[in-house]
Parts: sequence; structure tokens; C-alpha cells
Amino acid sequence: MSELLSRVGALLARATEVYRHDPRAAGWLGRHTAALAGPLRIAVVGPPGAGASTLISALVGEAVAPLPDCPMWTTWYVAGSTPSATAHLADSPPRRLPAERRVGRPWLDLSGLTGGPVEKLTLEWPVRGLRGMALIDLAPDVAADPRRAAAEADAVIHLTAGPTAADPRTLRALGDSPIAATGLSTVVALGRADEAGGGRIDALTVAKQLARQHRRDPRMWTLCQDVVAVSGLLGLAGRTLSEDEVAALGAIALAPRAELDVHLLSADRFTAADFPLQQPVRLRRLLLDRLGLFGLRLCTTLIRQGFTSHAALCAQLVARSGLVELRDAITRSLTDRADVLRARTALHALHALLRNEPADPGLAAELDRVVAGAHEFTELRLLAALHTGQVELPDEITEEAHRLLGGAGSTTAERLGLPDDTDPAELRAVAAGQLRRWQWFAADDEWTNSSRRAADVVVRSCSTLLAADVRW
Amino acid sequence: MTVPRWLDVLDATIGVCSTHRRPDLAAPLERKRAALAERTVRVVVVGQQNQGKSQLVNALVEAKVCGVGDHVTTPAPVVIGHASTPTAALVQAEPDRGPRRGPSRRRRVGVEDVANRTSVGLNAVGAGELVQAEVGIPRPLLAEGLVLVDTPAADHARVLDVVAEADAVLLVSAATHELSTAELEIVERVHRLCPTIALVLTKIDIAPRWRRVADRNRARLAAAGIAADVFPVSATLRLTAPGARDQALATESGFGDLTAYLWELAARPEALVARSVRAMATAALDQLADPLRRSAVVPVAGTADAIARWHAAQQRLELLRRDAVSWQTTLTDDITDLMADIEFDLRDRTRRILREVDRYFDGADPQQDWPDFADWLDSKLSEAAGTNLDWLMDRFDWIGGRIRRDRLAYEAPAALTDGEGLRAIADRFAPVEATGYPERPTMERFTPSQKLFVGLRGSYGGILMFGLATSLAGWPLINAVSLGAGALFAAKTVHDESGARLRRRQATAKAAAQRHVDDFFLSVSKETKDLVRRWHRSARDQIEHTATHLRDGIVADAASAKQVVDEGAAEQQQRTARISAQLEQLARIQSAVAALAPSPAARHRLPA
Repeated sequence: MSELLSRVGALLARATEVYRHDPRAAGWLGRHTAALAGPLRIAVVGPPGAGASTLISALVGEAVAPLPDCPMWTTWYVAGSTPSATAHLADSPPRRLPAERRVGRPWLDLSGLTGGPVEKLTLEWPVRGLRGMALIDLAPDVAADPRRAAAEADAVIHLTAGPTAADPRTLRALGDSPIAATGLSTVVALGRADEAGGGRIDALTVAKQLARQHRRDPRMWTLCQDVVAVSGLLGLAGRTLSEDEVAALGAIALAPRAELDVHLLSADRFTAADFPLQQPVRLRRLLLDRLGLFGLRLCTTLIRQGFTSHAALCAQLVARSGLVELRDAITRSLTDRADVLRARTALHALHALLRNEPADPGLAAELDRVVAGAHEFTELRLLAALHTGQVELPDEITEEAHRLLGGAGSTTAERLGLPDDTDPAELRAVAAGQLRRWQWFAADDEWTNSSRRAADVVVRSCSTLLAADVRW
Repeated sequence: MTVPRWLDVLDATIGVCSTHRRPDLAAPLERKRAALAERTVRVVVVGQQNQGKSQLVNALVEAKVCGVGDHVTTPAPVVIGHASTPTAALVQAEPDRGPRRGPSRRRRVGVEDVANRTSVGLNAVGAGELVQAEVGIPRPLLAEGLVLVDTPAADHARVLDVVAEADAVLLVSAATHELSTAELEIVERVHRLCPTIALVLTKIDIAPRWRRVADRNRARLAAAGIAADVFPVSATLRLTAPGARDQALATESGFGDLTAYLWELAARPEALVARSVRAMATAALDQLADPLRRSAVVPVAGTADAIARWHAAQQRLELLRRDAVSWQTTLTDDITDLMADIEFDLRDRTRRILREVDRYFDGADPQQDWPDFADWLDSKLSEAAGTNLDWLMDRFDWIGGRIRRDRLAYEAPAALTDGEGLRAIADRFAPVEATGYPERPTMERFTPSQKLFVGLRGSYGGILMFGLATSLAGWPLINAVSLGAGALFAAKTVHDESGARLRRRQATAKAAAQRHVDDFFLSVSKETKDLVRRWHRSARDQIEHTATHLRDGIVADAASAKQVVDEGAAEQQQRTARISAQLEQLARIQSAVAALAPSPAARHRLPA
């Protein structure tokens, strides 16, 4: 646990002591104290039908979402040693539900679930993909209210309804949420990337180009950390296609090209009765559901190009679906900064509590001290200020400052712009060089005050790097 | 050729818009009139970004006229009409005049350039220089008088202007998702401007569940009360079809039905015109009627104020009535208290004087001291009467002050129960004179002859008693001893008699003083009561006078307010009559409009 997190923990403990006679406030603080020790909570938010559940399944690597027979409940997916589920009810203690894996999907016994409405359902699932985070599929009514969504999560993956739907104007609505106020905890996923270009074979490439365009658009910088095009459908297919399904695809791909292309023109044609191969309509419908028309076109092309084995085809699908980029973005922008983001959520919550039910002026002062003293927040604020142009540095070193502040990843090597396997001694030397360089910038008379203050922050980041290096 | 009915209705509507000084409503109608005069059927393609609007238009005219692609969006409307040879022109705003409705210039370009010029990057800003692109190509459908208009994404500012000039609207939504709330809002907005709407469900080639989406969309449109046909199409299949020359593919693309629908529209321009004129005119008339209806209920300026004033006056009058009663009650109560207090005070003072009189005459001989006593009693009584009167005056002042304070709220004229009149009354008040100086009572005197007689009578017993006793000793009856005893007895009897007489005189004097004080009390209390009553009467009259004065002021105020209200009501009536006349005129035109065409109803066809 980082120093910041322990300071926030101590602050929350003190607040719990102050509010011990107020059950509601104590409960609220208790939840946030627990969350501080738990995994990073990431909510997947998007309009209905955008494919939030599919994307969660793709990220998990198994078809876990949506849970069968769990209508419209907020569902948490967390890593666990065995499949298990806990229902959190509105007016009674949490209840464990029998759960197991059946045909690769979760199965829950909801028969014993009586009493008040379910507030949320936590599914523990033994899978590596969930390590260090909790993915949250929000109930539609919660997802529609950014503030409630904010109370649930440390970070947000904002999923758009289509590859072209990421309009800064619609994204700005997210800005209402305190956790996404400066876009620090948001990653935008352009959903349904496979529908770009009307499902032509270059759809994913087109979608990725669109994501790049958005990433370069200065208006997006304050709204999110990264923009990634992703096709949840293909990603999930890549993670879960069975050998049989790959075999069936192989058979289809081997059909005469001219004949096949005619049947890949539309979804109706693929499932039509005059299909050249002796495959039951049910199988073809299943494949269409799993892959979409674009997925079928892509798979047949890939198989013809030689990716015939199950492993090779699936790897290609995952790679092309944008899932890898999304995972990277999540790691770089969210989980690597988990401590800061969790601390931020807890501090936001405490701030809200102190504002609504002021109890102890000393506590508010302590909160201010923690917020002001945390260099991590100073870095994030400066990053946002650099993005929005509130603070300007000479062009040639803006990129460098961005990197040193952790804007491109928060490990020492990433901050210094060196490969991950760089020798520690070299890291130290480079960090020391950067420190001297920025100290010099910070003392430059020709710079404006705000620029010199920004340089000071970078100096502090550099010295933190050196200090951390010594500790290791 | 007869002038069509819709033209009359449209002209009437434009006329009424001008009469109501609403050029903003008249202008689109006039544009519509000009557009209708061209005898073409304008079909506008509307939808959100990247639903495939431009691709649909391209597929309909089987040419790459509009720019398509995921990276790009259409910045300005593209109008596609018939021309025997392909022509194209770009209408651009003068750069320094702004993009909207400013003076613009037309520039001829090649048809193939239009696609490039009408596709800009998704996030491009400031691309508004292009006002409109116009393309003419030889197509049988277009030759029939159909004009297709491709539009920017539906949230673009100019789209509704374009829709206002439309005869029919194709709303485009991809089959990969159901109609969103935003899209339904667009449909509803468009429906108000142009009632002939069809929903084109694009991209059915890549949407395996398009049939379900189509059903859901139909249900949603029906729930919103919008009659619209739904055409599931695939522009991709259609654009593939001519190359493959595949009849089945052409059918599957769904364009057969859509084209048939467009032919039908082109063939019945009159019905469409009537329908869209009806919608536009209805919208314009509604906008005219709304402010009229609102203004009909707005009261004439100042009336509200007058009504408020009138109500306030009524309220004040009621308050005043209550207060005046309460003043009088307070006064009466105070006076009753005053009477009791004053009488008690006077009684108390005279009693104390009487007690002093008693004490005085226990010792003094009224025979000698009466003149002194009379002076003293007179001064004492005068003093008592004066103190009592002073107190009375103080009480008057106090009561008067209290009532004055109560009346302060009314800003009543002063000069009511001031002291002057009362002082005059009090000065005339002379209770002591009324009773007079204490009269000396008749008291019996003890004269020397009476004393002699009494002494002789007393001495008789002594002489006899002692004479007889001494006679036993042989002394004569009259001797020195008996004579001495007789003298002693005489002196004693005279002394006793004079004491008894003094007491009798004292009793008489006391009785006389008592009588005098009683007389004094009676007359003074009578005078005081008279004075209080007079004062009460004058105070009562003054209060009455004040109340009347105040009431007169308020009533006058109320009357003036009432007059204003009455005048306002008359004016209001006139205006209501005027407005209802105008509304009636609007209603006449409205009914003419309504008679133009029946409401369109969707035929709910499904392609095979």
C-alpha cells in the first residue's frame, strides 16, 4: 500500500471515529474504507445496447456477463478462488447464493433469494483477467445517473454505441460526474468496432484510425485518458471459440470463394437454406451470433491466410478486436494508478460527507492537508492543466514533462521513457540527469511563474523517482 | 387550369401571418410556396451521424454523389435533382458574411467533386462555408420530379430548415440498434414540420436481428403516435447488385419497396403538397394562435393594480370598522374604570378629612374654634377636590394618548382629545363654591343666669343634707357647714353641666361638619361625573369623527380603484372580442387547412 493510501486510510479511520454515532455516515465510511483495501472498481458505462456486458465478458475472457436470470441488477465481477455469488439486499444482510460454472457460463441458484430488492450482486469468478480490479456492469437506472455511477466506482470505461459515436459533446455529459471531472479516471472505448464501414473487411482498421483521430483531438484530452476502438463481440469470440466452432469455420472458409462471398453478403444469406455446405442452420445462426457478419468474413479470410489452428485464429481475433489495446489502456491509465484513483474516490466521498454533515472542523483541515500534500494529485492536476492549456511549457519539452509526470505510465522506466528491462543503475543516472535539467528549467528567469511552478512539480516527480529507486 | 385549393389556403395563411406581423412565420411558408411552384417532390433524408444517409442516397440514385465513410460526415445539404446531362454546383457563403442565409455564390463543379467536397472529417470545425451542394443527374425517378436531399447529422443547425421545405422525409436509422430516445425526438420534431415520414432501416446486411429491430421500431413509432412506413434496406447489397446483376440480391436489398414508395410519392405530388401544406400551415397557425390565446387572459395594464388597490381598500375599511368599535369599547371601559376610581379617591379623601374632624372636636370647643375650623375644613376640601381633579385630568390625558396611539396607524388628523377644551371645562368646575363655606351650627350657650340657676339648684341638696346632719347636733339647719357644703355642691353641679354642654356642642359641630362634607362629596362627585361624561361624549364624538374621516378617504380610494377596474373590464371585453374575432379567422383558415388532406396513415408493408 502506498504512502498516500495509508494516509487516506488513517484519515478515514479518524472520520469513522468522529461519525461513530451516525449509523448512515459510519456505514458510508465503512464501505469506502473497505473499498480502499479492495480491488480497483471499474464501471463499464454505455447506452443500452452498446454491449457493456459483452465487453465485460471479453475482458474477463469468459462469457460471464450478463448473468442469466439476473434482471437489471448492478453486478460486480471480481476474481475469486471458486465461483461464488453474493447478493446485497437493500434491507437485509448480504446473502451467499449457490453458484457454479456450467458450460463455461456462470449458473446461479436464485430460488432462495427472497426479501427486499437486490442492490447489487457480486460474482467471484476464478479467472486471471480480473486480477486487481472489479468490473462493474451497472444497472440501467444507475448507469443513467452519472453521480450514482460515480459513487459505485473508482474509474469508468465509457463505451460508445458505435465506432463513430464518440462525440466530445456527448462525452462531456460524463464531466458531471465527480470521478470523471477531469477525465482522469476515464477510458473511452469506441464500441462495436466491427460495424465500422458497414462491416467491410477493413472495419477494425477503420475503427482504430477513428480512435487515433479522437486521441489526437485536443477536446478529448480533458474528457478521458485514452480512446480505444474495441469490438467486444470479436474479443469474446477470440477468447471463447471452441475447437468445434473453429472447425466449422474452417469448413466454411474452404468452400469455393465465389460461392462463399455471395453468402457472406448479408446475414440473411448466411443463414439461408441454399448454403453450399451441409451445415445445419442452427450452427450457422450460432456462428453468426458469436461472430457477427464481419467476424465471419474476418475468420474466413484469416483461415484462408493460414491461421487455421484454433490457437492462431483466436489470437488473431483477440489481437484485431482491440481488446489488447483496451487492456493496455486500462493497465496504463487505471490499474497502474489504482492507489491514486482509490484514494481519490475515498477523499471525494469524505469531502461530500463533510460538506453535507459537517462534524469536526479539524477533520476538514486534515482532509485539505492530505489532498494538498499528495504529490500524486499535484501531478494529475498538472497533467490536466497541461492538456487543457492552462499551463504552457515550451513545445519541445511538453511531451517530456507529460511522460515524467506519469502521463504515459507510472513505472520508473515508463516515466523516463526507457524500455522496461533497463538496468537500475542506468535508470538512476537518467533520472538524476532529468532532475538536474528540470531544476535548471525551474530556475529559468525567462519562464512565466506558472511554467516555473510546473517545472518544480516535475523536479519533485524526478526526485521521487530517485528516492523510490533508492528504496528498492 | 384552376388554381389548386392548397394554394388558396397557403396564401391565406401567409396573409394572416403578415397581418399578425410575424414575418418569421411567413418566410418559410413563402419559401414553401416558391418550392411548390417548382412542381417537384422534395424528399429529405434525415438521421443521426453515420446511420448511412449518404450511402442510402447514393444507392437510390446508383451513383457516388455524396461522400461516405466512417471518417467523414456531411457538412451541408446535398440536393439531387434531374438533369439531362450530369451537372453540379456548390453554393458557398461569402466568407466574410457568415455561413447562414447570407449572400452566397454558386460555383460549377464536376459531379465527382461533390462527393469530395461534401465529406469532411468527423471533428472538423469551421467547415460551414459550404451552404449547399446541387447535383443534377439523369435518372428516371428524378425525371419524374423527385428531388432527393442528403443532410448533415440531425443535430446540425440547418437540418430543420431543410426539413421545413420537404414534401416527404426519410428517417434513416441503422438496423444494428433500435430507435434511440434521441432518434425518436428527431422523428417527433420532423413530424411537426412534415407529416409524410418513412423510416428507412439501413445496414440490414450486417444486422442478423434486423427483423426484430424493425418490429420494435414500428411499435415505438406507433406508441409515439406517428404513422410511418418502415423500409429495411441494405445499401451495400444494392450497390453490389448492379455489378452482380443479381435479381435476388436487388430484392433482398429492400430497395425495390423503397423505390416503389418514392415513385408513388413522385406520382402524387398534389396529395403530398396538400399534406405538407396542411402540416406547415397548421404549425404556423398554432404559433399565431398561441400568443393570442395567452394575451386574451392577460388583464389590461393597470387593471391588476387597481383591483389590488380596491381589495386593499376593502380590507382597510373592514379593519377600520373593527378598530373604531374597539376604540369605543376601550374608551367606555376606561371611562367606567375612571368613574369608579375617581369616586373612590374622593370618598377616601373626604373620609380622611372627617376622621381628622372627629379627632379635632374631641378636644376643641366649637363655640370658640369654629371659625378656625371652618377655614381649615374649607381649605382641606378644596385641596382634595383639586387633587382629585388633577388626577382626573391626568387620566383623561392618558386615555386620550392611548386612543391617539391606536389611531396612529391610520395617520388620522391630530387635534382630537387635546387638553384645551377639557381645561376650559375644568376651569368652570368649582365644587367648593357649589357647596359653600361650612355653616356654623346653632349651639346652646351656658349663660351666667343659667349657671346661677343651676348652682342654686345644686346647692339646695348640699344645704339640706348637711343642715339636717348638723341639726342632730343641735345646730340650726342653716349654719356655716351646710352653707359651705351647699356652695361646694353648687360649684360641682355647674361644672358638670358645662362639661355636658361642651360635649353636646362638639357632637353638633361634628354632625355639622359631616353634613358639610357629605354635601361637598355629593356635589363634587356629581360635578366630576358630569365632567367625565362630557369628556367621554366629546372623546366619543371625536373618535367617531376620525373614523368617519378615515372611512371617507378609504371609500374614495376604493371608488377610484373600482372605476379603473370597470373601465379595464370594458377594455378587456373589447380586446377579448377582438382576439376571439382573430382566433375565429384563424380557425376558419385552420378548417380550410384541415380539409386539404386526410392524415397520412402508414400501410405497414413488409417486403417479401
